[in-house]
Amino acid sequence: MGPNKILDTNKYFIICSNVLGGCMGTTGPSSINEQKNVQYAMNFPVFTIKDMVNLQLALIDNLEIEQLFSVIGGSLGGMQVLEWAASYPEKIYSAIPIATSYRHSAQNIAFHEVGRQAIMNDPNWQLGNYYNEKQKPRHGLSVARMIAHITYLSEGAFQKKFGRDMQSKVLSWGFDADFQVESYLRHQGTSFVDRFDANSYLYITRAMDYFDLTGPYNGELSSAFKNTKCKFLIISFTSDWLFPSSESLAIVKALNKTAADISFIEVNSDKGHDSFLLEVTDFYQILTGFISGAARKKGL
Amino acid sequence: MVNKLNQDLISSLIANNSKVLDIGCGNGDLLLHLEKTKNINGQGIEISPKGVQESVSKGLSVIQGDADIDLINFPNNAFDIVILSHTLQATHKPKEVLTEMLRIGKKCIISIPNFGYWKYRFQMLFLGIMPITKTLSEPWYSTPNIHLCTIKDFINLCEILNISINGAFRNTTYSIKKINKPNRYINNLLSIEGIFVLSNNIK
Repeated sequence: MGPNKILDTNKYFIICSNVLGGCMGTTGPSSINEQKNVQYAMNFPVFTIKDMVNLQLALIDNLEIEQLFSVIGGSLGGMQVLEWAASYPEKIYSAIPIATSYRHSAQNIAFHEVGRQAIMNDPNWQLGNYYNEKQKPRHGLSVARMIAHITYLSEGAFQKKFGRDMQSKVLSWGFDADFQVESYLRHQGTSFVDRFDANSYLYITRAMDYFDLTGPYNGELSSAFKNTKCKFLIISFTSDWLFPSSESLAIVKALNKTAADISFIEVNSDKGHDSFLLEVTDFYQILTGFISGAARKKGL
Repeated sequence: MVNKLNQDLISSLIANNSKVLDIGCGNGDLLLHLEKTKNINGQGIEISPKGVQESVSKGLSVIQGDADIDLINFPNNAFDIVILSHTLQATHKPKEVLTEMLRIGKKCIISIPNFGYWKYRFQMLFLGIMPITKTLSEPWYSTPNIHLCTIKDFINLCEILNISINGAFRNTTYSIKKINKPNRYINNLLSIEGIFVLSNNIK
């Protein structure tokens, strides 16, 4: 995103708001509950992907935008894109859900649960009331991030990046980070703690777990999209085992049932789920083509 | 030349603003041509990732999919036109693909490489080899074309399946000719390609 990039800020007005429940701007558990003059912590209501989208809708209504040219997002962002297409189809012209799913799988819920348990079992978590304490649940959040980070990569990516490379030439014969992969994960964990709030992590992972677009339709996904007229570009990555291509294919199948305007491609990449954040040439080329094609059809 | 003739004919058979599905759309050239000339609302299915990537990069709506498997997902009469251009011979179940495309398209256009073309017969008869030409360019061991047939074979299959042919054309490599008498020997011998218009009777 930027001037003359794929999401060209010279051409498009790009809206990128902070996520509901996060800790970077939009209200979340670390925000002050003004009635009680204390952080919400665990008194923050459990929210859903649809709540996130409703908030974005309120934002564009406030900006007096009748229809968005496109909504784009990967992973959690992709879930929001699908929710837009299902709940407010008339509000969007095109949708680009990337490396995502229409519902969180059992395996993904399982990984989230391990991460949450790591946080909630950190003695410094204090049932979420750690904001005014000296000690924060750093270890728990850091472990949660380490686990999650494994799911963002692929076996091949780990092997290629680290192999069995060591930090030093001799083994410690103990439990220090002998292997580079260990040190890398520890770094990912600790650096995350500095920029993220543990309670936000609990709430946002829960919103993903609760996401299931088929919920109101007895498991029939195509019903969720029956009023959708927007153009879809669905992208998955070959080595993504967190949101594998089969999840995207289920969306494609459901959209075909409604004869929707849809593009789907499984991009070849060995970088796992993280591929959607990285510079993968084929992926960039497809995005560029789709966006310019959609702009042409929309007369932009 | 062969491709250009095929494109022009297919284009002439399609009304402006139609909703079109191209099964086995390759790199999307035909869809792009139809978008430009007929302002169609196009959708493609293509099995090769490279083809899908090229098509989507041109701004076309194309999904990675398999004609043998994925047509069942579409509802009845979902498209005004379904095109199967040089694809039937590469499917595992040509009969089922044909039936499915007639279910989802109000009108279907099918083109097939004609294995009865004299050059193929010549290579078989005198050289004793599996034919290789510009249209069928892969050797037998790597060709995706597993169900080749002749114009005559195709017409026979339509009879078996009780499909009525609303229009039939042949490509002589120099021009497109209408097939008026399906049983003429010369149709089969002198044409590199057959193009057929079929329509469904699904209400």
